Amino acid sequence: MGLRTLAKTIDLVAAFDASPNPYMLLDADLRYAGMNQAYLDVTHRRREDLLGQPVMQEYDAGPGEDASENARQLAASFAKVLKTGKPDHLAVLHYPIPIEQPDGTVLYDDRYWSCTHTPIKDASGSVTHILQHTSDITELERLRRQVGRLRPEEASSALDSLIGGGMFRRAMSVQADNRRLESERRQLLDIFMQTPGFVAVLNGPEHVIQLHNGAYGQLIGHRDVVGKPIREALPELAGQGFYDCLDEVLATGEPFQGRQSPVQLQHMPNGSLTTRYLNFIYQPIRNDTGAIMGVFVQGHDVTDTVLAAERQKLMIDELNHRVKNTLATVQSIAMQTARSHEDPRSFAETFQSRILSLSHTHDLLTRSHWEGADLREVLEHETAAHGLHRLTLNGPSVSLDPAMAVSLGMIFHELATNAAKYGALTPGEGRVLVDWSVADLNNPHLAILWRETGGPSVAQPERRGFGSRLIERNVRHDLAGTAQMHYRDNGLSAEITIPLNKEAA
Amino acid sequence: MTNALQGRRVLVIEDESLVAMLLETILEDMGCAVVGPEANIDDGLIAATTEASLDAALLDVNVAGREVFPVAEALRARGVPFVFSTGYGEAGLPEHWRGNPTIQKPFTEGAIRDALMKVMNISLA
Repeated sequence: MGLRTLAKTIDLVAAFDASPNPYMLLDADLRYAGMNQAYLDVTHRRREDLLGQPVMQEYDAGPGEDASENARQLAASFAKVLKTGKPDHLAVLHYPIPIEQPDGTVLYDDRYWSCTHTPIKDASGSVTHILQHTSDITELERLRRQVGRLRPEEASSALDSLIGGGMFRRAMSVQADNRRLESERRQLLDIFMQTPGFVAVLNGPEHVIQLHNGAYGQLIGHRDVVGKPIREALPELAGQGFYDCLDEVLATGEPFQGRQSPVQLQHMPNGSLTTRYLNFIYQPIRNDTGAIMGVFVQGHDVTDTVLAAERQKLMIDELNHRVKNTLATVQSIAMQTARSHEDPRSFAETFQSRILSLSHTHDLLTRSHWEGADLREVLEHETAAHGLHRLTLNGPSVSLDPAMAVSLGMIFHELATNAAKYGALTPGEGRVLVDWSVADLNNPHLAILWRETGGPSVAQPERRGFGSRLIERNVRHDLAGTAQMHYRDNGLSAEITIPLNKEAA
Repeated sequence: MTNALQGRRVLVIEDESLVAMLLETILEDMGCAVVGPEANIDDGLIAATTEASLDAALLDVNVAGREVFPVAEALRARGVPFVFSTGYGEAGLPEHWRGNPTIQKPFTEGAIRDALMKVMNISLA
C-alpha cells in the first residue's frame, strides 16, 4: 500500500506530529491512543494527561444549553464508525475549550469545529482505531448564525444569497472582522426597509415573498403576505402577465423592467381593485455558485405622475380646441365685418370693438376659472361704455355657463352698439331698459326683454346687417332659444328666450 | 373652375353660430347650397338621414361636447362624402377615421374648396 511504502521512507509519526491540523487517535474503547502537537495546542492540554483516558470523559462541552446534545452527537459519530467501518463527518461541533487561568479559574474559549472520524482497521478488517481530523470553523459558524437569525428556518434562500453570500465570501478572507460585516449587512437591510420605493425579495420557483418593505406593504394594501407564494399572496395579478414575467426572470436570469405599467391591484385593505401605474425591475438573485435563487423586486408607484400627465394632456387638448374655435370665431367676425364695412377705418373700429367684447367676456370667465358668469355682470360689461345711467338693468341673479356667457356677451354687444349708432344710446335723452326673469322652474327658461325708449324712431333695415343676423343666429343656434326684434317708433325692442337647461330643452 | 361646386348641396354641422356663419358665407360664395347648419348631433342625424339629396357634408368633430361620428356613419351608409373640421387636425381623429379629408380651424376658403372637391371626386382638369 502507498502509505506503508511511504512509511518506510519518512517518519510518519513525525509528519503526523508536525501537521498544523489537529489530529487525535482513539482506540476501539474510545480512549486516547495518540494526538499531534496541533491538537494539544488548540485544546490547551498535555499529552500525558490525555493518553489512555476515555475521550467522552475528557470531552467537556462546557457551558451552554447545547453541551449535552453536542456530546451525544460526538459519541454517536464514534459509535457509527465502529459499527459501520466507514468514515463519518460532523459538520458542526460546538466545543468550547476550557483554559485554566494563572489564578486557577477556568475560562471557556467558545469554538466550533468540523470533524472527520476515519476508521483504522487491522488485517481482518476490524476497526482498531479512530482517527479524528478537526477544522476550526468558529468564525464561519458565527457568521452563519448571525445571518440565519434573520430567518433561521430558511437558511439557504434568495435572501441569504442576496445579503449573506457576499458576506460569507468576504468572511473567508477577513474572518476576524465580522463586526464590520454585520454592520454592513444591517445597513443594507435598513436601506431595503426604508427606501421610498417598494422592495420585495421573492424566493424559489413559487416566488415566495420572503421579505418586503413598508412601501411594498402600502402598495398591496398592507396584506399579510410574507411566507406566501406570489400567486397565493396577490391572486388579483392573475392574467396580468406578472407571474409569467417572474417565471421568465427565474428561468433565464434576464432582468425585466416595467415602465408605467398598469396593474389592477387591491391597493386598499379589503378594497376593490384599482389601477396603479408602476415603474419596476425584476432582478435575478444568484447564490455563490451562480444558481438563481429568487427575484429581487424594486420599483416606484408612479400612479400620481401618470394621472397628472393624462390630466395635462386632456387640458392641453381642451385648450387647443378652445383656442382654435376662438380663432375660427374671430376669423368669422373679421370676414362678416369686412362685408359690411368697405372703409378700412370703419372696419377696424367695428372689428376691434367686437374682439374686445369677446375678450371682456373671457376676462369675466377667467375670474371664475371658467365656471360661468352672472347675467348682470355680462350685461354691465357690455354696456358700461355707453354710460350706466342710461341703462336700467332689472332681474334676478342668473348664473350662465361659459358658452352662454360668451354668446350673450356678443349679443348684448351688438344690441348696445346698434343702440349707440342708431337707437336710444345716441346722444340725447334715450334710455335702455333691460328686464329679465326665469320662468317655469321645472324646465327653466330665461326671458330677456331689451327695450329702447326716448331715442329716434327706428324702422326695420332694408338689408339685415351682421349684428342682427348674429343675434338671431346665436340665440337659435348656440342657445337653442328664440329671438324677436321689433322695430317701433319709440325704439327697438328685442325679446330673447333661452332654455337654461339645454339638455332638458 | 370657380363654379365646379355650383349648386352642390352641402350639409354643415357646427355648434358655434359664428363659425357656422363663416362656413355658410364661404360655401355660398362657392355657389353651394347650405343644408343646416345644424348645431347638435341629434339634429345632424335627422338631416343626414332625411335630407333628400346631399352632395357632401362638413362635419365639426366636437359638437357641443359630443363626437360627430354617428352622423359620419349615417352619411357613409348613404354614400354621401364628408369632410371633418376640427381644431385638433387629423391627428386628433380616432384611428378609424384617419385618412378622411380633414380641415383644421381656423379655415381658409381654399382648404375648404380643395377638401370638398377631393371627397366629391371633382377634378379641375
